[in-house]
Amino acid sequence: MNGTTEAKGAPQTKTRRHLVRGGLLVAYILIMVLMILTGRRHTILIDNKDAADGSYRAINGMEVSIDKQESSEYYPGDRDKAMVQGQKHTIKVNIFDDNKTIEQSFTVPLWNDMTIISVPKMVAGIEPWIEPFTMAEQIQEALESGPPAGEMSFQSLDSGVPAGTEQTQQSP
Amino acid sequence: MSARKKLSTLFSRYAVVIIFVIITLAAIPPSGLSIKYILQEIITRLGRNSFLVLALLLPIYAGMGLNFGMTLGAMAGQVGLIFAVNYGIANWQGLVFAMLVGLPISVLLGWVCGLVMNMAKGREMVTGYILAFFINGIYQFFVMYMLGSVIPMGNKAIVLSRGYGIRNTLNLESVRQSLDNIVMLHVGGFSIPLVTFIIIALLCGFVVWFKKTKLGQDMRAVGQDMAVAEAAGIPVEKTRIVAIIISTVLACAGQIIFLQNMGNLATYNAHDQTGFFAVAAILVGGASVTHASIANVFVGVMLLHSMFVVSPLAGQKLFGSAMIGEYFRQFIGYGVIALSLVLYAWRTRKAAAEARLSLRGVQDDSAKGNGGTAVGNGGQA
Repeated sequence: MNGTTEAKGAPQTKTRRHLVRGGLLVAYILIMVLMILTGRRHTILIDNKDAADGSYRAINGMEVSIDKQESSEYYPGDRDKAMVQGQKHTIKVNIFDDNKTIEQSFTVPLWNDMTIISVPKMVAGIEPWIEPFTMAEQIQEALESGPPAGEMSFQSLDSGVPAGTEQTQQSP
Repeated sequence: MSARKKLSTLFSRYAVVIIFVIITLAAIPPSGLSIKYILQEIITRLGRNSFLVLALLLPIYAGMGLNFGMTLGAMAGQVGLIFAVNYGIANWQGLVFAMLVGLPISVLLGWVCGLVMNMAKGREMVTGYILAFFINGIYQFFVMYMLGSVIPMGNKAIVLSRGYGIRNTLNLESVRQSLDNIVMLHVGGFSIPLVTFIIIALLCGFVVWFKKTKLGQDMRAVGQDMAVAEAAGIPVEKTRIVAIIISTVLACAGQIIFLQNMGNLATYNAHDQTGFFAVAAILVGGASVTHASIANVFVGVMLLHSMFVVSPLAGQKLFGSAMIGEYFRQFIGYGVIALSLVLYAWRTRKAAAEARLSLRGVQDDSAKGNGGTAVGNGGQA
């Protein structure tokens, strides 16, 4: 009698044990995911520059704060950065000229390290005012568009031989 | 027992503590440091190191001596922190993430360590020490080659310029003092990292509670006499493995707490002296290879670190070179461990001799008081 009850109870205990262990494993992974979601840090670049095509112009003067961080003043041509943690944030812009305050919420993609917010675009209502920012892309774009007019260009040394001069080979 | 005999017993038992107190007190005036500064440093270092030193208690209860294998747990914690920095997880979330990554690694390493120590019963300390060197080789291979080549690392700032391997020093700016700064109390001009101390207090509570559990009692029985424990039906080897696993996991958490306070990680050698300084601290606090308590941990951390604070400046003032103080720090650390082991061996032999005399029926005053307390665990290396 007792032996039969024990034999029945053993698989039940085993199943319960497996369930508890499985539950603990799931909880473990969930906590890990939660830590990534809430703890991942992103760099936000706050940009106040004119558009290259003239579609919008930089704001004359403004105060920008992200979440509850300390606000900073921005003038035309300024770009600064703010560090944020997590994905959902709020940007608050106070424009000096008309003393207007604009508040917008935005979400940063989880695996995006750096994001740029163009405040003039945001104020003008042009989408997308928030874009991912990668250094490699910026360098590529700068190379494609060529050096700005009136500024010095840097070329590789071997291509910079003036016409009419002879290239002499160094003897060993 | 005569007063002289009592004094001699007291000195032999607390020789390390007494010597340390004398040296530290003597070094304070030449260092020129204010008492307030020294106290603040001690508070900071208590928060930074106590958790690591507390990790040594359970193996001592289980009769496995001072767990030099705790370095394995420290390595696991460092791997966790490397991943937290790689994924850009900041603040206390980064620490929890590092712990969650380090936990399974430390359990695995603790289990391996326990298995090896079971094969080397009676020589656990030297085995742990050498095992730490062996696992260090694997850690170096993992961090220097696997990370970045086999395991992709998204954060290029922490990877060596060749494309794989982690840089020599990692900036833990994203998690720097994130635990300490959750609640920083300012009392009487002192800054006290409250949350860190709460966590340490919880660990102390856990140790006290654990000693009263069935497993805790088993550990103490195993620590007193393995043969008797085995005869009583206690699974000796399993109990010893559990003690080492818990110690390794605690060392993993301890190293994370230590490094978040420091704010940077020397990738390839931060763990090297973790075990050494933790062992030195608990011995300075009056513990021995077979006996240790929570009080020993705190007394030891306070004494050892007050010495560490004052010795470089005392060396500078007395000998004209801060390097002398640094050298002194190392010398004291190793000296304390050596002295403790020598005293322990001497006490064990003395107790055995007195027990032998009492068995022969020779009435000796000293035999009455010392009832062979340390006989059972003699011969630890």
